[in-house]
Amino acid sequence: MAVPTDEIVQDRAVVAPLSWAFVALVPLTFLLVGLVLRFLAFRAALPEAPVTNFAQALCRWDCHWYVRIAEEGYDPFPVPGRIVAGNWAFFPLYPGLVGLVRQLLPFPTMVTATLVSLACAYAAAVAAWPLLAGNRRAYVLYAAFLLAGPFSVYFTTFMTEVMFTLLTIGVFLALRQSNHLVAGALAALLSATRIVGVFIVFAIVLAMFLDHRRQGGTLAGFVPALLRRPVWLLAIVISPLGAFAYIAFLDGLVGDGLAFQHVQRAWGRELGNPLGYLAQALTTSARSGFFPSIVQQQGFAALAGLGMTGVLAWRRRLPEALFSLVCILVPLSAGMASMPRFVAGLAPVCLMAMTLLAARWWLFALALLVLLVGGYFGAFGWITEYVALV
Amino acid sequence: MSEAPRPSPVTLAAYGAVAIILAVELVVFWRALNPSAEGDYRAYYIDKTTTCLAQPMTGAYELGRRVSFRSDGAALTRELKPCGWEGPVGDGTHSVGETSRLRFAVGTADAPLELALEMVAVDMPGPPRQRVRVSANGIFVGEAGLTPGEPRRATFPIPVEALGGTGILDIALDFPEAISPGPGVSNTRKRAIKLLSAQLSAVDP
Repeated sequence: MAVPTDEIVQDRAVVAPLSWAFVALVPLTFLLVGLVLRFLAFRAALPEAPVTNFAQALCRWDCHWYVRIAEEGYDPFPVPGRIVAGNWAFFPLYPGLVGLVRQLLPFPTMVTATLVSLACAYAAAVAAWPLLAGNRRAYVLYAAFLLAGPFSVYFTTFMTEVMFTLLTIGVFLALRQSNHLVAGALAALLSATRIVGVFIVFAIVLAMFLDHRRQGGTLAGFVPALLRRPVWLLAIVISPLGAFAYIAFLDGLVGDGLAFQHVQRAWGRELGNPLGYLAQALTTSARSGFFPSIVQQQGFAALAGLGMTGVLAWRRRLPEALFSLVCILVPLSAGMASMPRFVAGLAPVCLMAMTLLAARWWLFALALLVLLVGGYFGAFGWITEYVALV
Repeated sequence: MSEAPRPSPVTLAAYGAVAIILAVELVVFWRALNPSAEGDYRAYYIDKTTTCLAQPMTGAYELGRRVSFRSDGAALTRELKPCGWEGPVGDGTHSVGETSRLRFAVGTADAPLELALEMVAVDMPGPPRQRVRVSANGIFVGEAGLTPGEPRRATFPIPVEALGGTGILDIALDFPEAISPGPGVSNTRKRAIKLLSAQLSAVDP
């Protein structure tokens, strides 16, 4: 049975110079629109705050941990702040990058982080173009989603989602082009960005298997074929290298390479059945009114992510579906916290959602309007610490 | 009979790199599964034998003074709470986990002391009564029973041998009936009591 190949449109933009302008200018436009929307939300939420506090005001929740890592590095044990939770749970690539750029620019950390995040979000939008198979409406929606949408605060302040998204797109772009070694190298960076990044190795192996099948290989012949391809093997073993480097670092720092996982105890998180957590969240209604409770909203985010994962699988985009499934189920096994953020930062899921929303003109226009209006309210909720967004 | 083609230097280098990276990853993985961390770190994060990871508080305290563990006493009690507490808020400092600790710097005290704790049980679904087992520098000194809505002042004698000559008195409060706030929540988040005030005094001869 032949396995269908994914459409690659990498040459289409080269052929038409106007396409390049489109690809470059659409995210640039939304970058500026997003800045305006978030600034308006900042003024509405904090009317007394000086304008110069704009970047700092958008630093909420985990952002503060990243700022401290960028400025001071990782905690020894005992933690200097005399708190139970060290900052080991936060993977080093993105705060490390901001920390480096901070040495070069004369700005406060949050201003530098905002600039780096905007650059990464712009790059992620542009990099997503070949994955959208020339679908301009989907491209517009995804650029709006990243740079000006309800969750744009995740991609334009100082959270790891923007780097995670950029690298995820990079890995799947490389896999589409069967460039496994580049995919492996980007995966290594991804695994140093968030713990779930390490699971991209399963998507890479699955993509290799699908390539093997396209070339007429059999299931039984996959492992021997893999062993005959040292470059494929190299791509696999370098994929988790970023996570292993962080584990080795933590081992040297506190004598516990898995400190990033063990420290979850300080936040009271217990591993459990992800579907049990999901069912419990969806059935926990608000005490009054019809509006869904916070955990229900988080549950809806997980459901939406799982739904899009199903669509990916149905469309035979199996590596992306596999990665998305793991990236939803693993954090879900520790409870509902941050599910909207985790799903919003999952590029294959969001790209698929934008593709579906771009199917009709009216739906596209409505989705774009909702995204931009949501961009204002999302930023307002973020600044005022609306818990579902954490 | 044709011979198999010799692998190119690039191929050999790739296999070599795979072997080296894999070996490094296996070593790192083995070390991750066998952490070298000991003491409090290991007990709290890895073995999970305690819910109270003591922080290096000074225990600065004026012997005989009654200190409030409500919001109005935040400044005076900050250095008295090594672990297992949340707050203070208006209705006291809440215990979290199955053990909470207090620390008092008692200087050169070499006579028996008396610890007075004003406490009340939390009002949550679960056991109707909270037992608080108190030890001083590892020596059991007494137990108190608390019910929700009924603050109680309990006193505990601190014998001389518990002082140990270190100048520091570490008080452990164990809560055998601490209540979990819900399924899927770690025992580090259990609730038992609200501490309202504490006083450590010399015993009248």
